[in-house]
Amino acid sequence: MRKSKLSHFLVFMLPAVIVIGVFVVYPCVRTTLLSFFDENGHFTLRNYAEVLKSRDTINSDGITRGEFPLGTLLHNAIWIAIHLPLTIFIGLIAAVILRKTWGGNLLKTFIFFGMVMPMIVGGVMINFMFDENVGIVNAFLRLFGMPSKTWTAHPETALFSLILGSVWLWTGFSMTLYSAGLETIPKDYYEAASIDGAGPFVQFFKITVPLLKPITVVVATMTLLWDLKIFDIVYVATQGGPGGASNVLALQMYNYAFIEFNYGKAAVVAVLLTMFTLIAAIPLIKTAGEE
Amino acid sequence: MRKLGVLMIAALIASLMLGKLVVIGPWSGAEQEKFLPVLKAFEREYGIDVEYKAYRSEDLLKILPAQFKAKKSMADVIFMWSWFIQDQAKKGNVVNLTDVIKEDDFIPGALDAVKVNGKIYGIVYTGKVKPGFWYRKSFFKKYGLKVPRTWQEFKDLLKKIKSIPGIKAPIASGDGVGWPLSDVTEHFLITFGGPYVDKDLMAGNLKWESNTAKYAMGKLVELLKAGYFGEPTEWTMVLKQWWNGEYALYFMGSWITGMVDDPEDLGVFTLPGAKGVVFAADYAFIPKYSKHIDEAKKLIKFLATEGQVVQVRQGGHIATYRYTSLSDYPPVDREVAKILQGMEALPDLDDTVGGAFQKAFWDQLKLLWVNPERFDEVLKVLDEKMAVTKK
Repeated sequence: MRKSKLSHFLVFMLPAVIVIGVFVVYPCVRTTLLSFFDENGHFTLRNYAEVLKSRDTINSDGITRGEFPLGTLLHNAIWIAIHLPLTIFIGLIAAVILRKTWGGNLLKTFIFFGMVMPMIVGGVMINFMFDENVGIVNAFLRLFGMPSKTWTAHPETALFSLILGSVWLWTGFSMTLYSAGLETIPKDYYEAASIDGAGPFVQFFKITVPLLKPITVVVATMTLLWDLKIFDIVYVATQGGPGGASNVLALQMYNYAFIEFNYGKAAVVAVLLTMFTLIAAIPLIKTAGEE
Repeated sequence: MRKLGVLMIAALIASLMLGKLVVIGPWSGAEQEKFLPVLKAFEREYGIDVEYKAYRSEDLLKILPAQFKAKKSMADVIFMWSWFIQDQAKKGNVVNLTDVIKEDDFIPGALDAVKVNGKIYGIVYTGKVKPGFWYRKSFFKKYGLKVPRTWQEFKDLLKKIKSIPGIKAPIASGDGVGWPLSDVTEHFLITFGGPYVDKDLMAGNLKWESNTAKYAMGKLVELLKAGYFGEPTEWTMVLKQWWNGEYALYFMGSWITGMVDDPEDLGVFTLPGAKGVVFAADYAFIPKYSKHIDEAKKLIKFLATEGQVVQVRQGGHIATYRYTSLSDYPPVDREVAKILQGMEALPDLDDTVGGAFQKAFWDQLKLLWVNPERFDEVLKVLDEKMAVTKK
């Protein structure tokens, strides 16, 4: 019996273990090792020192003056600080409002289009949206007599333009998850709360928000991971410019690897990204464990 | 009859064994259509089939090094940046062409960019001149504008253009990709620093923060601060705006003649005092891992010589092969070819240096264009990236 269990275990687990080992574990270990060796194969910490001291990663001049570029590390942090709460907030509100609105499902489909669209196309769309001549953002501003400019071409607005564009692209994800989560809340709770005299706002904050907490954890974690590995939108829309003002960690890694051909430094950024990702994934793993 | 049959079968087997020569180049669409007759001419002359594939140089930069490391090549002849050919030649991945072409057959210095230790590792094909500021003759006539002969006249012209109603800015700025801004910047460097400044910067012998380079770049910054350049806009989009009269001048290469409705209405002038212009030639090489090196040598020699004559006849290209006659050019290109006379033809700075510098150069210029006050910071970053690239 025990032998049969072992053979079942091997049959079902071995393929997955091999695939994960070859395509996940080995590349991770190899990349980590690569980050600690120079071109001649000697152990070194120089790659880490060069990346962390580089103005690409942390631009102390920019931070002192309060001007972009501030460095990829801070750019990613800003991205998370703006994109994460906006995505959660807008996704939740949209899911709640559109749940009982006539034509809500149709509107949800439109919002979800951003999510379905390839991010490369999304990057091109963002570029056009913020363009001085053909952009919808400037067309809207001109209605109020405000001056127009190409937002992605200026260092002070390039990063924020991309972040706002990414909110449009990613909100469909959070809205869909919240919509599914809302269906799992029993209607009795709301009816009981109404009988007790609770208004819509109280019901929202005392019933909806707490019961959607597991969904919020998933949305927050997935969004955080998406923000950390953000690449395609930036690559297409601004190439990290102007002057590195919208550069991010993943693009920095790409530039080290495929522009400078410095695989050691690229591996350092990859290791840093993996570390941040693991830290970000902890809440998700904990929640899954509790369930 | 039997002999003929045997010969035909032998020819068929030989052609099947050889397969097709594969050429990779950067041209697609209309440009590809103008290149294909060159390959057809080779096929007719040598009886060797050639297949053309279009790849962007930026993409090849990522694919080829990995392929060469695996001792493989996706093509027999590849058009690529000169710095890449030199770099790969140093790594032993490129076929030596010293005995295939004669240096004297080409315009002086044209092959310097693909030489390593005196040996030639690539061919120089046709190129495009980046002569200066293009304008519409009808626009200049309408507003009584004249081509400037001095720097002061140039500034006066810009001031006059800026006052014309409906004009966004006197000079259009191309964006989307990085080279439109780097091309105009290089023209200022050549004009106000002299061709040697351009060459020294390319070689890494002169710092961007040096007084000489700073002076030449400063002239550009002066115009940027005065608002004479428009906001960087996708380069084909701004071309239409310039043609429609929203801008008066546009710095662009000679390929612009094939991008406008009426090339006869085009005029061009260099910055007053310019002693050189950038001549951006296309370069090609044979990877060491080609399976048909002998046939590829025949093709690359053809491309460098007779192929250039066929190419310039299609329009939009200027030959580096000295035995190309002016009568081979269409009329518009003939005028551009004449601009080269008396000027020093210089290689494109950022294409020659390449690597991290090229990307930084394009990116920093985008910053300079919208924020010229950060001039010193831009120069500092360029020096840093040049050091990384030359390391």
